Order: sequence, then C-alpha cells, then structure tokens
Amino acid sequence: MTPLLETRGVWQRFGGLIANSDVSISVGRGEIVGLIGPNGAGKSTLFNLIAGVLPPTQGSIIFDGEDVTALPAAERCQRGIGRTFQVVKSFETMTVIDNVIVGALVRTTVMRDARRKAHEVLEFCGLAPRANVLASDLVPSEKRRLEVARALATEPKLLLLDEVLTGLTPVEAKTGVELVRKVRDTGVTVLMVEHVMEIVMPLVDRAIVLDLGKVLVEGKPADVVRDPKVITAYLGDRHAVGA
Amino acid sequence: MDTAFAERRRRDLIVACVLAAIAATVPLFVKDVYVQNIMVLTLMWGALSQSWNILSGYCGQISLGHALYFGLGAYTTALLFTKFGVLPWFGMLGGGVISALIAMALGYPCFRLRGHYFVIATIVIAEIGLLLFHNWDWAGAAMGIEIPARGDSWLKFQFPRSKLPYFYFALALACVAWFVTWWLEDSKWGYWWRAVKDNPEAAESLGVDVFNSKMGAAAVSAFLVAIGGSFYAQFVYFIDPESVMGFQFSLLMALPAVLGGIGTLWGPMLGAVILIPLTELTRSYVGGSGRGVDLIVYGGLIIAISLARPQGLIGLFSFKGLAGLFAPKRKEAVR
Repeated sequence: MTPLLETRGVWQRFGGLIANSDVSISVGRGEIVGLIGPNGAGKSTLFNLIAGVLPPTQGSIIFDGEDVTALPAAERCQRGIGRTFQVVKSFETMTVIDNVIVGALVRTTVMRDARRKAHEVLEFCGLAPRANVLASDLVPSEKRRLEVARALATEPKLLLLDEVLTGLTPVEAKTGVELVRKVRDTGVTVLMVEHVMEIVMPLVDRAIVLDLGKVLVEGKPADVVRDPKVITAYLGDRHAVGA
Repeated sequence: MDTAFAERRRRDLIVACVLAAIAATVPLFVKDVYVQNIMVLTLMWGALSQSWNILSGYCGQISLGHALYFGLGAYTTALLFTKFGVLPWFGMLGGGVISALIAMALGYPCFRLRGHYFVIATIVIAEIGLLLFHNWDWAGAAMGIEIPARGDSWLKFQFPRSKLPYFYFALALACVAWFVTWWLEDSKWGYWWRAVKDNPEAAESLGVDVFNSKMGAAAVSAFLVAIGGSFYAQFVYFIDPESVMGFQFSLLMALPAVLGGIGTLWGPMLGAVILIPLTELTRSYVGGSGRGVDLIVYGGLIIAISLARPQGLIGLFSFKGLAGLFAPKRKEAVR
C-alpha cells in the first residue's frame, strides 16, 4: 500500500539559510511517527511545508497518492491534513465549542451537524465540561487540547502535532500521551514533533531524526536512541564514544 | 443538544421583535417633528453601524472608509432618478449592488494588508472617492444634486410633508440589518469571520478560506450601507460630496458599534440609541454655529468607554458585566 504522506527531496531555503535539505520521509497509514531532533534541526519548517503554510523551494509533497505541493493550507485541510501549532493559536474571543465548530465546518455547512460533531470531539478530548468557556480563559494544557480537538473536528487522515506534549506537567503529559493513542486508534495517522525524548519514544512506532536540515537516522525508537549519530547530534562527540 | 445556545438565539429574536413593535408605535404618541427626525436618524445610524459591524466587528477588518459606500448609494439613487427618471427603489438596489462590487474590487488588493495598513488604505480610498465626486461635473461636482420634490409618493419614495414614512423605512432598514447579522452569526460565514478576526493563520489551517470570507463580509456590509445612503439621499433631498462621502460619515458608522460593543449583535443599535440623540441634542442646544461640538461629545464618550469598558456597553447587560463595573480594577494583561 502507498504511504499516506511522502516528501520527495524537499528543500527549503530562507535566504542563505538552508532549513531543510533533500528531506525524503514517508509516513504509513495508521502509524504514529515522531519527528525529533535538536533545536534548529528543521522540524518546524518541515511541518509547515507539509501543512502548506509555505511552499518548498524544491521537491514535492505527496499526500494520499496526490501531489499537494502547490495547494494552500486551507485546501490541504480539506484533503485531510490537520495540524496544531507549537505556540497555541486559539480563537480567543470565541468559546471552546465555537473554536471546534470552525474546524467541523470543513465537512459540513449545516450548523446543527457541525455543533454535534464539535460536541463529540470535545467529549473525546475530555474538554466537554469546558465547552462554553471562552478560549482565553483556558489554562495552557487545556489550550493544547483545544488545538487537538479543533484539528480533529476537521476529520483529518493525518494529524500533525507540533510539540503538544512540551511544557506540560508529568500528569498532563500522560493524559496527552493517552489522547494521542486514542486518536490513532480511531484510524488517524499521527506525525508529531517532540522534544521530550522520554515521553515520545514509548509512544511512537517509528522515529525520524532530523539534524541540520537533513534526515539523520530513522527507525524503531529503541534503535534510534542508541544510534551513535543521534547521540552525537544531541550531546556532542564525547558522549558517543562508548556507544 | 446545546439548548442553551438555541435558547439564547431564540430569545434574541423575540427581544428584537418586541423592541421593533414598540418602536413602531412610538410615532403614535410622539408627534413632534424634531423628535421624529432624531428617531429617524437614530435608526438609520443604528442600521449603518450594524452593517459596518459585519466587516469590521465580526470579520475584524476595521474600515474607516465606509462613507464611500454610503455616498455611492446616495449618488446612484439620486443620479438615476434625476438623470434617467429611474425610481429610487431600483436606484437603491443598484446602489447596493454597485457598492458591493466596488467593495470586492477594492478588497482584492486591500485584504492583503493587515492591521493599521488596512485601516489607512480604507481612509485613503474613501478620500479618493470624495475627490472624484468633487470634480465629476455630470454628477453635480461640488454643487451637488437636488432631488426635485413632487409631493408625497411611495412610488418615488419622497414625503415632503411627513416624517412618518421615513421613520418606518428606517425602522425596517434597522430590522433588516439586525436580522441579517443575527442570521449570519450562526452560519458558516459568521464562524469563519470570527475565526479570521481572532487568528487568520489558525483559521487557514482549519480549512477557512480567509480571503473569500473577507470578500463576503465586505460585500454584505457595503450593500447594506449603500441602501442606507440611498435612504439618506431621499430623506434630505439634497446631496453633495461632503454631505454624503465626508470622512465624518465613516467615523459615525464606527462609533455606535464601538460604543455599544464591537463585533456583537446588539452593540451597534445600543450605541446608536445613546449616541445619536445625545449629539443631535447637543447640536441644537449649542446652536447652529456649534458644528463640531457634537464630535467633541463623541470623542469624550469614546475615551470614557475605552477606559472603563473596552468591550462596549453591551457587556453591562449581564450580571457579570454590572458586577465588573463596580469591582476593583484589574490590571489589563499586556497584549
């Protein structure tokens, strides 16, 4: 079966800076894939290229068997790519449920259906008790979950999670991990950028490590963390010697 | 499901119907022409501000150039009637359509601008419109156009002898503007607009067509404002560029909404009910030469509101709002 998402030789240059060089990755249906790497490795850039925030300088992005490289973000959402933002971008003057309804309106124009869908998603994400609260009144961990809920309401095939587990307390992170698993169990493929290794590694089926804009290593999480190249990238040469 | 929400919307609708019914009976008791005149103006500015609120309040694209559409509505009606004998009713519709089309044509480049740059563009474009009409001889240039009065007639929509028909038309216009807002509030467009206002980038990621939602809001808003402009031309019988396209008209459309609560369903009408009678009365007490005093009152009110109640007066219409007014001031977080 063809993979759900493929990037083929993707480059992104910002002036003289090369954020992604020749990145080719693929994400299979039903997988949870972790995209990791030290700061400045080009993870967020790659994410934005997949979500359609900016077009790649070179290369193509294939989603669900179709070339979506030229499509803007809104249309990619219609095709089934949902995303969250690293810095949360809630609709602050709207209630939680209204935030989610905006997402649900991609699939229907009937308000009653959109509202029902939004309720289901909030229930799924554990935000139902906060449905009628203004988004600006949520605490940070709830805002993160609202990001996920909003994206889920668009009924994505692929969900891009940009550091949703970063900066949470251990308990919150644990509920977050459970949520991601639950999302995958409903048939949604997940590609997540994450910093905190000990949280992501048990969660993902496969990890892709980016460093200096290139794919460094990819494979099973257990193998990846032992890979000398990865240890070097994160900690420097001295620590890799013993591996 | 979500009965609280449906109930609030039903309650809004009922309250609006009751208020409209009460307003409709007022002229039966108030025979004073001066007061009736103020009532007509209040309803008209309420309707205009409600229309302005669709683009600037809901969709967040602050326009200070809506006088352009007001003027276009007025001029289209007046020109079609005086030059070609087209009835004002068709002129009204024509003015609305022309304004909506022009709003979209202008939106095409301008909606790529954000924040202050967009506001400045709207001001400049309206000023250009004003200058064009100042120099357009066929349209009366600076001399303006006088609409010949030929006796009371619904067909020609002119009533030299009575304010009442104008009152009922202005009331209908206010009701239409309110109802359109009410209806759009719970539609895909309404949700898209608010999402675009709050965070365009997030909206885009959720499949919202940001550009076209702005275009839609601009078209609806301009259409309704132009209808108001047409009405105004019929109401005053004489228009010139300054009296329908001057910058103060753009401000007068924004102020009631800002005062009452920008981006809210009831804000513009509430603001107009307070603001318009107040300024009309100030103007008449200070006397004919007091041109500008009403604007000082506006300015003072806006400063007071933005200090005490930045979200508008409508927030007072809830227990929380009232309690908040008397609660100790909380330092606003840095934006």
